[in-house]
Amino acid sequence: MITDVVSAVFLLLGALSCLLGALGLVRLPDLPARLQAATKPQTLGLLLILLGTAIRLEFENAATLILVILFQAVTAPVISQIVARSAYRTGTLDRDALVVDELAERMEREAREGGPAGRK
Amino acid sequence: MTVLRRWPQVLWLTVVWVLLWGTISVKIVIGGVLVAVAVTALFPLPLLPRLPFRPWALLQLGGHLLADLVVSGAQVAWETLRYGPGARAGIVAVPLLTESERITTFVAAATALTPGSVVLQIDRAGGRLYVYTLGLRGPADATRVRRQMERLQDRMMRTLGEKR
Repeated sequence: MITDVVSAVFLLLGALSCLLGALGLVRLPDLPARLQAATKPQTLGLLLILLGTAIRLEFENAATLILVILFQAVTAPVISQIVARSAYRTGTLDRDALVVDELAERMEREAREGGPAGRK
Repeated sequence: MTVLRRWPQVLWLTVVWVLLWGTISVKIVIGGVLVAVAVTALFPLPLLPRLPFRPWALLQLGGHLLADLVVSGAQVAWETLRYGPGARAGIVAVPLLTESERITTFVAAATALTPGSVVLQIDRAGGRLYVYTLGLRGPADATRVRRQMERLQDRMMRTLGEKR
């Protein structure tokens, strides 16, 4: 009974988090901001849902879920970083939505001085 | 035998194998070791100096990252609901505290879990990370991002750094 309630709370919180992530994809202004919605609340939502599921499972079956969240946590940052970087480079980022942009300041300075703008 | 020197990779692959099976038995463990040795021998990764193993620091780091993820999820959700299309962001230059490329990589990956942030650009020569953060209201918030990143780097170095 108690495990059912705890499990349900986790599942619902996870679903809510995923929903908010999906909402962010629609409502936020530009690619990097949407990327935040696609990674943060989604990963949190997945974690909560897996936790909720694991509570109801026997340990043996729950162990596999550890792998799911582990690989999610390892791969999501890599992808989001690459996409964000390309977004900045290709200009799909809404510059008016930025309150500070210290990278642009540096790239301008380097362009003036004729240096390589932003080597990795 | 380089496979022997790569025993941590063999161990890790065996653990993944056992987790994928979902049950533990002698046969599965032996099968896992065989597969892990084969994979390690056929697709060798470059041998790097081994990272220090500090279980307590690692556990603390894991806890902090988990807390960051929860705050992160809530913060991005708040930006979505409260500001939506009018959400503001910023790109902040953060001083890089470590020389090590591996720790820089870990820091960049962990940044993706800190509230609303992702690393856009790593300037190793200049010792700077450029961090995109959602939810900045004004230039003053940049200080907050810098302080947050400093703490993250500090924790990462305490866990995986060469020496203290």
